[in-house]
Amino acid sequence: DPIVIKFAHVVAENTPKGLMADRFKELVAERLGDKVVVEVYPNSQLFGDDKVLEVMQLGDVQLAAPALSKFSRYTDVLALYDLPFLFEDLHAVDRFQQSEAGQGLLKSMEKKGLIGLGYLHNGMKQLSSSQPLRVPEDAKGLKFRIMASEVLEAQFEALDAAPIKKPFSEVFTLLQTKAIDGQENTWSNMYSKKFFEVQPYITESNHGLLDYLVVTSTEFWNGLPDDVRDTLKAALDESIAYGNRIAYDKEAEDRQAIIDSKRTEVIELTPEERAQWVQAMRPVWKQFEDEIGADLIDAAYAANQE
Amino acid sequence: MFLRIIDKTEEAIISLLLVAITLLVFAEVVLRFGFGTGVSWGQEATLHLAGWFVLFGASYGLKTGAHIGVDAFVQLFAPLGQRLISALAILLSLGYCGLLGYGAWVYLHKMYRIGIELEDIPLQAWIAHSILLIGMVLLSLRLLVLLWDVATGKTTGFRRTDEARESLHLAEEIKREVSKP
Amino acid sequence: MTTATLFLLLFGCMLLGMPIALALGFSSIVTILLFSNDSLASIALKLFEAVSGHYTLLAIPFFILASSFLSTGGVAKRLIRFATGVVGHIRGGLAMASVLACMLFAAVSGSSPATVAAIGSLVIVGMVKAGYPKQFAAGVITNAGTLGILIPPSIVMLVYAAATEVSAARMFMAGFVPGILLGLLLMVAVYIVARVKKLPALPWPGLREVLSAAFSASGGILLIVIVLGSIYGGVASPTEAAAVSAVYAFLIAVIGYRDMGPLKTIPWRRPGEGFGRLLLRNAWQVPLALPQSFTHPEVRKVVLDAAKVSIMLLFIIANAMLFAHVLTTERIPHQIAETIVQWGLSPWMFLIVVNILLLIAGNFMEPSAILLIMAPILFPIAMQLGIDPVHFGIIMVVNMEIGMLTPPVGLNLFVTAGITGETLGWVIRSVLPWILLLLGFLMLVTYVPQLSLFLPEYLDQLKGYR
Ligand code: NA
Ligand code: NA
Repeated sequence: DPIVIKFAHVVAENTPKGLMADRFKELVAERLGDKVVVEVYPNSQLFGDDKVLEVMQLGDVQLAAPALSKFSRYTDVLALYDLPFLFEDLHAVDRFQQSEAGQGLLKSMEKKGLIGLGYLHNGMKQLSSSQPLRVPEDAKGLKFRIMASEVLEAQFEALDAAPIKKPFSEVFTLLQTKAIDGQENTWSNMYSKKFFEVQPYITESNHGLLDYLVVTSTEFWNGLPDDVRDTLKAALDESIAYGNRIAYDKEAEDRQAIIDSKRTEVIELTPEERAQWVQAMRPVWKQFEDEIGADLIDAAYAANQE
Repeated sequence: MFLRIIDKTEEAIISLLLVAITLLVFAEVVLRFGFGTGVSWGQEATLHLAGWFVLFGASYGLKTGAHIGVDAFVQLFAPLGQRLISALAILLSLGYCGLLGYGAWVYLHKMYRIGIELEDIPLQAWIAHSILLIGMVLLSLRLLVLLWDVATGKTTGFRRTDEARESLHLAEEIKREVSKP
Repeated sequence: MTTATLFLLLFGCMLLGMPIALALGFSSIVTILLFSNDSLASIALKLFEAVSGHYTLLAIPFFILASSFLSTGGVAKRLIRFATGVVGHIRGGLAMASVLACMLFAAVSGSSPATVAAIGSLVIVGMVKAGYPKQFAAGVITNAGTLGILIPPSIVMLVYAAATEVSAARMFMAGFVPGILLGLLLMVAVYIVARVKKLPALPWPGLREVLSAAFSASGGILLIVIVLGSIYGGVASPTEAAAVSAVYAFLIAVIGYRDMGPLKTIPWRRPGEGFGRLLLRNAWQVPLALPQSFTHPEVRKVVLDAAKVSIMLLFIIANAMLFAHVLTTERIPHQIAETIVQWGLSPWMFLIVVNILLLIAGNFMEPSAILLIMAPILFPIAMQLGIDPVHFGIIMVVNMEIGMLTPPVGLNLFVTAGITGETLGWVIRSVLPWILLLLGFLMLVTYVPQLSLFLPEYLDQLKGYR
């Protein structure tokens, strides 16, 4: 019997993640057709991101790619990627992720039974709101929806704003009725989840990163025959690179589509304004320095210089 | 007497869980609208309490005949036939509990070994999810009691009409109230 | 083979009289064990995800709790007195008013079973009291409840928008006209049935009685204002508004009207009591009544009853999700859809096939699950055939509405069975004639795209988006 790899993800097939998964399936069929079969389950058809890591440990799903902040239950160090204004753009992110320190982080959860296989981009996060946000003071007292992450909580508290945790299913209505004032997300997510239709202003802050980690269980990965594992890793690297190229394009495309819709005003920050945001959020680094490690933060920040 | 205490405890726990979930969500609204703030553990607590509410309450629902089913086919038979069919249905239901209970055991054991916590609440995942196993055990116990009742002829199946009528009491009460001159 | 086993097991278990929740769960688990290598542990985890991973579904227990307080206390009685006063003199007036109530509620809730739970538990009893056959009352409400997903906001539409990248705002706008139309159709049908069957009409009670009834019912009417107001006023989401309405219903029944609970025998104002004394006495009696309610037998009974119905519903829904999980892992919907693609149909034939397919799917799966699986497969074909994406979405939503009403998995049916205490068979019979109306409406929506498209296109033009 061939080895079955179930790849479960929570987004549509036409997203960078969905396309990456399908490409991986094709490459494996080409190279290991008789030995390994990849089955892709998009749209949370198998499990949502909250439970998929547990199912992976039970051996019923072999590959998934949740957002990096979903790993807070397994390791502290990946919180690094949630730090505000750590990377200037996706190129800097790439440089760090390919570096030794970035690759080392993939192994940070081995004791908890998970092993990272590569980073997949979603994009840089922007701030959307019911009111124009130009300087940090504009966000004061506003309510922002966040994903479950202590760093993101601290980030909005640093602005004297209120971080609110709500399940995705409720977010659209809460934004529409202004029960929550704003949220942070990538251009692609704001476009596909229709948030731009109910948020009149989007500030192009590029203040944070929303990336995915392609992950598998240690038990499964180490149990593979060596040659199969190497071929799989190579196929995965190729498909991740392919997915990341699409992510770059998609970020620009979706940004343009949002602007073209005329349903929201996109605010570009002047260098002075941006500096104010950086200054307001930077104290968050200090707060998490012990958990993440000062060396690691420095290494990541250094990736901004080419 | 002892059974009565168990019944009362069960009812109290179910009611408390429902009240707790309601008040938690209500408090979140008050905090957000009134004070512009939120509780970081609110969402996770609400959802887990909801899980406990349903899985803990499933067995109580069986006792009170609250679970709906289709009894049209069973009704075609004489009482003895009804009891035989119901016994089979109860055995299958016990199979459901056994399979899920075993699955829950394996799952909880795995979570216990890895030792991960919930996202926002510092509580071990295996404890928070243990209701899966507890719920299946409780449901099995109720099914066994029901099987005994069917075997001894005290009842013919799942739907205990006498107690199911109780859920109609609301309607009747209002009818009485409204028809007062 | 897998499909056959799954469905044979399900129907077999249901015939044996197994509770529906257990029948759904058992057939799913056995099918997985026989045909897939998924572990029992992951199935158990799936069940836990189903009961603890769906925030939106919590609106159901909250509304049931609220209604439970309203109908046990005198609030329902007062509301019914008011409604009877206003529309009771028209034949079928009360039933028409109930449809209207469903439409209003649908305008704040995104869920169809929540609409039935909220309105049904209040008005079915009232209609029976006013002389309507119970089956007629149940049928009307169970159907009108489906408006919950057609009149915006709608959870199902959001799912469709996310799955297909269609604008959610345009979907919402598109549901508006068909939603109102369906509401009106139901009312017309009610009126005709009332004429034919000579359903009761009461004498006009006079303006005085209507006004007095309105005042007496204001505590209950305020609930609708609170739910609508807190959602549109930006205070709460629909699920949260449901929790707010539960707390409010408790307060109005126990503290406001004092029809039940620790203050039942203690009036707001004792005869001959001065205003200062009244304030002073209530200032300590009211806060004291809150903790006392926790041990008060009447209050506890209401909570327990609500809990029982809620648990029954949520347990079915959780097991239905397990069932849908099997369908998905076995790729059953995919296979069917792919077959249809191969037929190469014309647009109108394609729409008929889509309707039939979704109606069948609606018998076994929950709407969001169907949309997540089917929309990405059917959508591209619809686009190729030149069908408008928003129109296609509305067709899917109306199909989902009907799916709520058809056994074995029809959430509205379960809710009505729960709140009336009747058997599922009884509820199905009560709904049957109305499903025909809905099927006719589906045809109308399918072949008159302008019904759905007029409003969003007009609004887009107005705002200069296109
Ligand atoms: Na609605
Ligand atoms: Na159905």
